[in-house]
Amino acid sequence: MKIFFLLGLFLPSIAWTSGINTEPGEAHDHSHSGMHSHDHSSHEGHLHETLVDGKELEVDPERFDKFIEGLADSQIAVVSVNGMVCDFCARGIEKTFKKDKSVKRVDVDLSRGKVLVAYNNRKVIDFEEIKLKIVSNGQNATDLQILDI
Amino acid sequence: MGILVKMVLLLLLINVEARPISYSGGSTAMLITDNMKDSVYYHYSPTYKYSVGIETVRDLIFNQEYSYLRFTYLMNRKNTRHSQRNLYFQSGISSKGTDNVFYGIHGDWETRRVFTGFGFKEVENTIQDYQDYFLQAGIAPYVGEYGDLHTWLMLKSKKNSITNEWQTYPVLKFFKGDFLIEFGYDSKINWDVHMMYRF
Repeated sequence: MKIFFLLGLFLPSIAWTSGINTEPGEAHDHSHSGMHSHDHSSHEGHLHETLVDGKELEVDPERFDKFIEGLADSQIAVVSVNGMVCDFCARGIEKTFKKDKSVKRVDVDLSRGKVLVAYNNRKVIDFEEIKLKIVSNGQNATDLQILDI
Repeated sequence: MGILVKMVLLLLLINVEARPISYSGGSTAMLITDNMKDSVYYHYSPTYKYSVGIETVRDLIFNQEYSYLRFTYLMNRKNTRHSQRNLYFQSGISSKGTDNVFYGIHGDWETRRVFTGFGFKEVENTIQDYQDYFLQAGIAPYVGEYGDLHTWLMLKSKKNSITNEWQTYPVLKFFKGDFLIEFGYDSKINWDVHMMYRF
């Protein structure tokens, strides 16, 4: 039985080489809008409208307005994330982004599967870097939209 | 595969030790007490794919105390927009030596509204080997937002090959921020409590 146990310890590598998927969300859209919004006050002073590529910004307006309250000279990255189904498992995302000194504020919108990250204006936002941060928490970033405020 | 088989497999996807692996660089401390053991478990996750940890156990079945060096590996994860599915391999080797080990699998599938999970563990020791099984399923009565207090109402069934009897009882799970508590009660097995803190 001990041999079986030791074999069990090697099970992960067996699983890996036999093609069992350990990469979360292997099928997802890597599209990156990366388009900056220039429609900063479409209606009632809100900052959540149509991007220059015509895509709608998919955020909860009320939550977004609260998020950007008091922020200036910032870029807001709106990251779409797969697998973000519970508060407890999204905690790591906030912690990971907050280690970045260019990040001013982070919020998670579980309902829409979005992570909002406010960066300073000097930051060059890189979707690949964001995807790595999200996957280090075990989820997948599938899309990115950026707004300047 | 027939629809019925798929549904059964789906119902079997459960997990009692919710989130046995943290995010990369994350640590987790747990307190677990039930009819089998009282234990304190700490694990560290170098990556989101595995965790290593130490569990100090007061074994209530064989009236022993020992520690496990534990290893948990995420064998499979499927993220979708509205769900996540996980399958883990778990193992441990006791401070009492290589004759005292456990290994098994557990899994879960959850959305923001529904949770299901299962677990199987083979425990070997010098007194009597046994198997431990559980199934768990639950719903969230309301869907909380990030930062809210989250509540789950669950049913848990468990069995070990020593008593050879399934026990089914209600479990309440709450979590807020980095803290989670889950407790259930059954008149035969008394309290089943699981607390977790992530940092």
